[in-house]
Amino acid sequence: MSKVNPPNEKPANGNQQPKVGVYVCRCGGNISDVVSVEKVAEAAGQMPDVVVARQNTFMCSHPGQQMIVDDIAKLGLNRVVVAACSPRLHELTFRKTLVRAGLNAYLFEHANIREQVSWVSKSDPEGATAKATRLVGAAVAKVRLSRPLDPIKVDATRQVLIIGGGVSGLRCARDLSQSGFRVVLVEQSAALGGRLTELGRLYPVQVEAREVLHSLISEVSRDAAIQVLTSAEVTAVSGSIGNFSVAVRCAQQETTIHVGAIVLATGFDTYEPLPGEYGYAEFPEVITLPQFVRLLEKQGPSDGQLQRNGRPVKNVCLVHCVGSRQIEGIHQPGPDGRLHEYCSRFCCTAALQAANEIRARFPAVNVFDVYRDIRTYGRGHESYYEQASKQGVIFFRFLAEQLPQIRRADADGSALVVQVKDTLTWGEDLEIPADLVVLVTGAVPRDLSRLIDMLKLSRSPDGFLQEVHPKLRPVETAVSGVFLAGGCQAPMDVGESCTAASAAAARVSAALLKGYVELEPFAAVADPALCTGTGACIEVCQHQRAISLVDVMADGVTLRRAQVNPALCGGCGMCVPACPHGAIQVDGWRLEQFEAMVDAIAADY
Amino acid sequence: MSEVQQARRPKILLLATTACAYPGADYVGQIHSEYSTDTYIIRVPALAVFPPEFYLRCFQKGIDGIIAMSCGHECPYPGAYERFAERIGRAQELMKRQGLDARRLRTTAICTVCGRAFLKEVQDMVQRVAQSGGQLVGK
Repeated sequence: MSKVNPPNEKPANGNQQPKVGVYVCRCGGNISDVVSVEKVAEAAGQMPDVVVARQNTFMCSHPGQQMIVDDIAKLGLNRVVVAACSPRLHELTFRKTLVRAGLNAYLFEHANIREQVSWVSKSDPEGATAKATRLVGAAVAKVRLSRPLDPIKVDATRQVLIIGGGVSGLRCARDLSQSGFRVVLVEQSAALGGRLTELGRLYPVQVEAREVLHSLISEVSRDAAIQVLTSAEVTAVSGSIGNFSVAVRCAQQETTIHVGAIVLATGFDTYEPLPGEYGYAEFPEVITLPQFVRLLEKQGPSDGQLQRNGRPVKNVCLVHCVGSRQIEGIHQPGPDGRLHEYCSRFCCTAALQAANEIRARFPAVNVFDVYRDIRTYGRGHESYYEQASKQGVIFFRFLAEQLPQIRRADADGSALVVQVKDTLTWGEDLEIPADLVVLVTGAVPRDLSRLIDMLKLSRSPDGFLQEVHPKLRPVETAVSGVFLAGGCQAPMDVGESCTAASAAAARVSAALLKGYVELEPFAAVADPALCTGTGACIEVCQHQRAISLVDVMADGVTLRRAQVNPALCGGCGMCVPACPHGAIQVDGWRLEQFEAMVDAIAADY
Repeated sequence: MSEVQQARRPKILLLATTACAYPGADYVGQIHSEYSTDTYIIRVPALAVFPPEFYLRCFQKGIDGIIAMSCGHECPYPGAYERFAERIGRAQELMKRQGLDARRLRTTAICTVCGRAFLKEVQDMVQRVAQSGGQLVGK
């Protein structure tokens, strides 16, 4: 018996008359604002074998789960249905609740009435309630036919693939190596470092980006447990947690590596303004913040002097929120048709850091900071704002509906004029002279469509890769064994990326360190009472040696019967329709369970 | 069960694969796009598990339309998609033979972020079922 089911488990809870408990979650209004949770619970109470049906504000909370545990003890429930968010969020949570109460984890069924009902049915609460009721009916019908199952244990490979050799990938590689894992770090460009190679000094402690990078890269390259592949890309992935096979193309050669887990540290892109957006690509004096950071570098294009087109710069104007916090109807969507509605978070502090640096290095240069909101949210960030105010940076604030305009100056002096309707002076129309306009650009999601297809990942509505849950499983993807580290998940600064990378490394360790993983027990199983040994299942099966014909003794006669090796079975169920006697079924997903679900959906409540 | 027979609403079954179409449907929820409440999603590891008779049985039980939402060629189970395609083809043949409109059984590939394709397929099936005017349950 494996770890998931404690040895003191109540016996034979799959063979008794089903006693089902149904729990309908309000999700703090996410569900109950549309679906009448009371009506769903009331209807569920009338369903066959349902002993109790209740509702709760948050079924995933401690009181919600405890309600299930108590009912199992008091009412002798042996099956549980929770109707809540997607099972991809909390199926695991509730399986564990059952185990805590002494039930087998697989006597649980999850009905999705948030992502697939309340969130997609706002204007039809009645229809949504009826739909939720039928989905609960289907879950009850399925769980009545469920049997207790034990997870399949397989050895896990103690090697990890990290995709992306920027600061997140490097940090994660070192953390994993220190936990005793071997690491393969795949970087698509020719060199390690990623975005960090483009940065100057890093807030909040003004350390040089190249120093951080240098020490990380030298640690990684000295580390015998880390194999670095540059100019390399992942071309195919198969397998599952514990045992992935990954094809990597590197120097025209394709090699296959075996890893137990995969970490995505693919980072983000910086926003490229549209031609004409705030005069970008129209006036050479309009540049982005990353370009400006390069200009400030002592080894930069103007040797660290503040010049544009050979002319000294006297007035610099920073414009915030370019390509971030975009609003439909006000901002133009990019070439992909997408608006960036999120805040990119790091750019306010980065802009103020640049402003402070100008004032410190070039005291004669005026800095005008034109912002929508200032979000210096992180530890130590606010001091950059305070310092900027003290150092004489002049602030202007605009509304999204009245974006600043940039035009050529009519008179001599500064080349450009930035027009702002300034809410700090109660809506005065002000004109700011500018020799240089710096567009404070943020982060945009990378095009990862090939990796997304290969790994079956989910993207959040803003286009970044999505975690399972922002608090409960913040660096795990819905694909077991695939983790997120850093800017591929959301806009993050360097410190946050390192934190995320260390978190991902810790989660990989938690998943693989015990040397084995437990896979879901959804494998085919042949019923010797129905099997006549036709071998039809073996003919269609694509998994080598997953099914074989073996001799079994029955009433003194030797018979040939199909037998499945669950560790080799993929659980696809291709064999199910092949059998002329219906003798082979996939545990957890038997055909009669699907038929019972259809019947419940077709029924009227 | 309701005593009074209300206007019967159609029932459309969406069979959605665990790896692709089911998360695709979740994605539609996450972006709060709206679609008909006459749809019922069943999660399935691989659609190759269904014999052709399964689909006919659904229609006999009163399901008006089925969209089998697969992973297409991105199917994580080797050979399963091809086997599923064969079985669907056979199911549609059987439907025709029984005088059922084979367009009531649709197959499509839906990826984890294919929100638009999902909504279009659902919308099309809702219209197809509505046009058939409820005369869908074949005997």
